[in-house]
Amino acid sequence: MIITKSEFLLRTHLDRQTLEVWIEEEWLSPEQADPEPLFSEADLARAGLIRDLQGDLGVNKEGIGVILNLVDQIHSLRWALANRIGSQTEE
Amino acid sequence: MKDPYETLGVAKTATAEEIRSAYRKLAKKLHPDLNPGDKSAEEKFKQAAGAYDLLSDEEKRRRFDAGEIDASGAERQHERYYKEYAQDPGGRRYQYQTAGSGFDDFASQDDFLAELLRRRQEQARRAPGADRSYELEIDFLDAVNGATRRVTLPDGGSLDVAIPAGIEEGQVLRLRGKGAPSRGEGPPGDALVAIAIRPHRFFTREGDDILLELPVTIQEAVLGGKVKVPTATGAVMAAVPKGSNTGTTLRLKGKGVPKRGGGAGDQLVKLKVMAPTEPDAALENFLSGWTPGPSYDPRRDMLS
Repeated sequence: MIITKSEFLLRTHLDRQTLEVWIEEEWLSPEQADPEPLFSEADLARAGLIRDLQGDLGVNKEGIGVILNLVDQIHSLRWALANRIGSQTEE
Repeated sequence: MKDPYETLGVAKTATAEEIRSAYRKLAKKLHPDLNPGDKSAEEKFKQAAGAYDLLSDEEKRRRFDAGEIDASGAERQHERYYKEYAQDPGGRRYQYQTAGSGFDDFASQDDFLAELLRRRQEQARRAPGADRSYELEIDFLDAVNGATRRVTLPDGGSLDVAIPAGIEEGQVLRLRGKGAPSRGEGPPGDALVAIAIRPHRFFTREGDDILLELPVTIQEAVLGGKVKVPTATGAVMAAVPKGSNTGTTLRLKGKGVPKRGGGAGDQLVKLKVMAPTEPDAALENFLSGWTPGPSYDPRRDMLS
């Protein structure tokens, strides 16, 4: 499912400027395309997480980058672990 | 639904600041994306967030305290959590950089894990680019006969699209490798071109058949004769049978839309008898001297 920039803004209730900042900070990295970047469902969910971190949890800008990086590492590990376990049960 | 004060663990007299800080403490512990493996956290987070939504809104809190509303339905409906999408292709993109060298330390002690992470990185490198969608409006006859038409792309480039004969409205043509380039070293994605067909002045289409309404003279209808009939591939001569009428339909075999896998539909020619538009003295003379037979009453079914 590919989401255009205007649809993304609509569904996340973000304004253009905020989205630019999030992309600049590399919190979001949509697929670069002409004339505007394209977003995925995962980007949409990630924007929800960033909003929760910034709003409800009161995390500042520096903290969000750190958290997202760790969250990405956790998902990498969870994926590797799930594969490792899966391969052992097959053996 | 539990009492929202109890859920957040604050006194009924808590200030807005106390409520917020209590909620933040809970949210840090319970947010599903910060606890991706803990199913019970998700349930607890929904409750806490719902309680916070209620108590952080002064008006709602006042009405709750006054007993005007209860806490039911205050569970927050979260549309989606990132953890549900993290293993999608879109979410995996964010992990590639960490998957590369982030686990060197223990990957070196576990061949399987090292291989797994290497493969994943390889996958990312070879992932194809995204598909791009375009729309192309073509003429009726191009759809029937096939053609090559050019799509102008938003970036100023263009794409030649070979339209197969017999294409239908809304059909999507896939042009391999004409989409977005890969982010790594994979192949580009595909271009998906949706076809829209402009209507024709005379022809309409019904499945594989082409319909045409063909005006004929009174003489051609009554006496029969050869008439020139336009088709999608040029005019042909067709025989109007003697005694034809408005609504009489001729079938021109194989003059319809080419079918996938060979053959073609037919063209159906519906005759329409036209009297002369200009007054015609000879015709008037003839008709005033003509007595139709008793069975010639076109309104018989209507008025009997």
